[in-house]
Amino acid sequence: MSHQMLIAILLLSPLVGFILNGVRFRSSNYLLAGSIATGAVAVSFACAIALFMQLVGLPPEQRRLTVSFFEWISVGSFKVNAGFVVDQISAIMILIITGVGSLIHLFSIGYMHHDKGVTKYFAYLNFFLFNMLILVLGDSLLTMFVGWEGVGLCSYLLIGFWFNDSAKAAAGMKAFITNRIGDAAFIIGMFILFMTFGTLNMHELNGLAPTIMESSWLGAVTLGTLMLFIGATGKSAQIPLYVWLPDAMAGPTPVSALIHAATMVTAGVYMIVRLNPLFVVAPNTMMVIAIVGAATAVLAATIGLTQTDIKKVLAYSTVSQLGYMFLAVGVGAFGAGMFHLMTHAFFKALMFLGSGSVIHAMHEEQDIRKMGGLKKYLPITHFTFVLGWLAIIGMPPFAGFFSKDEILWFAYSSPRGHILLWIAGAIGATLTAFYMTRLMALTFWGSSRVDKSVHPHESPLVMTIPLMVLGLLSVIGGWVGIPHVISEFVGHIPNFWEHWLEPLITKLPEASQVAHSATEEWALMGVSVSLASISALAAFIMYTKKAGAADKVANAFGPVYKLVDNKYYVDEAYFGVIINPLVSASRDLWHYVDVNVIDKATYKITDLVRGGGSFVRSLQNGNMQQYAMYVVLGVVIALSYMLVG
Amino acid sequence: MPSTSFLTDISINHYLILSAILFSIGMAGVLLRRNIIVLFMSIELMLNAVNISFVTFSHYFDKVDGQVMVFFVMTIAAAEAAVGLALAVSIFKRFKEVNIRFFEHLKG
Amino acid sequence: MTADVFIFWFLAILTIVSALSVVLMTNPIYSALSLAMTMVSVAAIFVTLQAYFLAGVQLIVYAGAVMVLFVMVLMLFDLKNELQAFSRGKFTGAIKVGAVGILAGLIVGAVGSFIMAGKSGAPVTPEASTSADATKALSEHLFFNHVFGFEALGVLLLVIAVGTVALSRSKGGTHAKH
Repeated sequence: MSHQMLIAILLLSPLVGFILNGVRFRSSNYLLAGSIATGAVAVSFACAIALFMQLVGLPPEQRRLTVSFFEWISVGSFKVNAGFVVDQISAIMILIITGVGSLIHLFSIGYMHHDKGVTKYFAYLNFFLFNMLILVLGDSLLTMFVGWEGVGLCSYLLIGFWFNDSAKAAAGMKAFITNRIGDAAFIIGMFILFMTFGTLNMHELNGLAPTIMESSWLGAVTLGTLMLFIGATGKSAQIPLYVWLPDAMAGPTPVSALIHAATMVTAGVYMIVRLNPLFVVAPNTMMVIAIVGAATAVLAATIGLTQTDIKKVLAYSTVSQLGYMFLAVGVGAFGAGMFHLMTHAFFKALMFLGSGSVIHAMHEEQDIRKMGGLKKYLPITHFTFVLGWLAIIGMPPFAGFFSKDEILWFAYSSPRGHILLWIAGAIGATLTAFYMTRLMALTFWGSSRVDKSVHPHESPLVMTIPLMVLGLLSVIGGWVGIPHVISEFVGHIPNFWEHWLEPLITKLPEASQVAHSATEEWALMGVSVSLASISALAAFIMYTKKAGAADKVANAFGPVYKLVDNKYYVDEAYFGVIINPLVSASRDLWHYVDVNVIDKATYKITDLVRGGGSFVRSLQNGNMQQYAMYVVLGVVIALSYMLVG
Repeated sequence: MPSTSFLTDISINHYLILSAILFSIGMAGVLLRRNIIVLFMSIELMLNAVNISFVTFSHYFDKVDGQVMVFFVMTIAAAEAAVGLALAVSIFKRFKEVNIRFFEHLKG
Repeated sequence: MTADVFIFWFLAILTIVSALSVVLMTNPIYSALSLAMTMVSVAAIFVTLQAYFLAGVQLIVYAGAVMVLFVMVLMLFDLKNELQAFSRGKFTGAIKVGAVGILAGLIVGAVGSFIMAGKSGAPVTPEASTSADATKALSEHLFFNHVFGFEALGVLLLVIAVGTVALSRSKGGTHAKH
């Protein structure tokens, strides 16, 4: 099949699924809805594999399959095609999206079977995938933006899926509005880039990227990329716009796995990697990205330490891991960022689905303080969750180890890296190990604190199969990008990942001032792994062996603990500084300006019109003789004008 | 002396002024009378005034067209009187009323 | 003072007086009779203007047919002397009378300023023509130059006749009967 056809099917299959489920959205036949949706995504996945194979068959320089379905906008010299491109970067993305997506769809059949809105749910999910595919395949920023908005919409719909609960509906709105702030910046970024380069096509933009570094903060490329990055902080939940993602956990758990862990939230990273030649020439932007990424990684990890909701812990973990990805792209390690994006998609989707399985087993209980000892009730979930846990805390040879280690190495060794960035990353990794172990310990290990009325049970096969597949991927997913030093050590295993992405990644122009030796890399690797191991062990002991130890630590840190427990009061600060003043200012505008000025003005106008109307109506009173009189008066006026004038 | 010449020399002006006066009287009737039949009569007066003008012009400029127009006007006037009176009869049969003010209620 | 002048003034006064009585009489029958008088004097004015045929038509159509129509309808209604012959409302009434008066003045003024300044200085003396010549000229003009208008009038009269019959057959009113 031609690649045009494949791309068309890839894109349209979820759309067809959406329409098929969308037109019968009242149905509660979960098996039919789930089969349609999962089938649609599976077809897309098959197309993605076929496209990937075609790409592999081409020589590395020509690995770029494009298709342009129609001319979408044509205004003067401004032209945008509905064009889509499959190259090395987007091929990986579509594989992740459709692959993980089909597993999550499959899982959803089991998870959502009791829900009345199941058909609507699957329709949204398919629509999300359609938009996500447009986002990653679009060949211009505008096409990407269509998908960008589309996934935002689907995210909103799915977060607020149980909209009868006003807190959940509010969470959806929060996500939507927060994203909107980022989107505005994204649009401004597009304007700036279009003004500077005259095109929005990403391939052309990359080709037009200047070769000279832009040192000024106010350079067009710096401003444009900075704006795009602000857009990315909205979509990918970075400081300062990360606040929506933890609340987004109000949605069904598979949605959290698909949208808020594996795919949509990585869109910002993907966008930056896609435009890496532009970002490379804007070192200031890169610096901002790296700092924001590192800060987010640490901040979110600390918040994760104190959360008691199983999904909230995972949500902050996601924010933190996204911070790592931005740290990677910020120091110029675009390949490492994409690599972590992929492995994170595997293990975080796995853990979210695992948490879904737990929640399912616990009858919608999400508080980990009321769990414990679930290991014996949920053997498969527990086993796969352990794989995910090992992957996220970076134990070799699990997937997370390779990607996270590469990021940390680049944070240190890249010309744009810094030892402080590495330290932040290492602290984040240590904290990650701690809170993930805490999650494991409180949920699966130790003594049971499960309520008597709840009888945990292992989930059906339709839910455990995706867990197993993702568990396998969490183990082996990192092996495609084994770092140089390790492959030297164990024998010549090529680093597929680097070779694959190489043609699209711009090398940093600055040469590294210091030559970094393999010993250094080994040393850093050892430090981060041992830090993670120690903190994981500490958490294990604190939360399983020594009951009450955790409270002691919490009491010892007193105010700091309270600060972290309340998520640094960021939400409160946003409310106090931005939202409440905005609301009260709007209310004042309404009470004083709107009521007194605008309304009054319109009322006066209507009074005038009404008065004029009633006057004219009084002339139209049906009295023929009066009409005749008006005629006579008119004639008199006309005649006197003729005679006098 | 203009006054005697005005009295003795009958010109086109005399006829036109007569026509104007007749027209104004008819119009006053239309505006002031309440009986619909008298109203029609006043309209006939106005039409006759116009006819006088036409015939006057026809006579003084020696063109027959004015008289043709009078012919047409008469026909229309007769037709108008027929229809108007038929309407008046029709309304009178139903409401027993010829006052023009009463017809305000027919405006719908 | 020639006979022509005397006849004009006589007819003019007769016309105006009878027209005034049409408007001012409170009994519609008197109005109708005054109207007949007006029609006859207008016909006489036509004669002084040498429009003999039109004078005849005026007598037959107006003083004959139309007047019969009016009188017959008045008889049908059996109307007595009216208590309120004129519209109520002194203010609008004043406006109406004033408007009509100003209009008359304006027309007279217009006639004076336009015509007197132009041709009226030398009264046109049309060549004397016999009644037969004038009528022949009129008929030729009518049937050669204005034959379409003539035919259209014929159709109009037919429509009027049908409409009048239809109106008189209806029970009156446009609303559904209860």
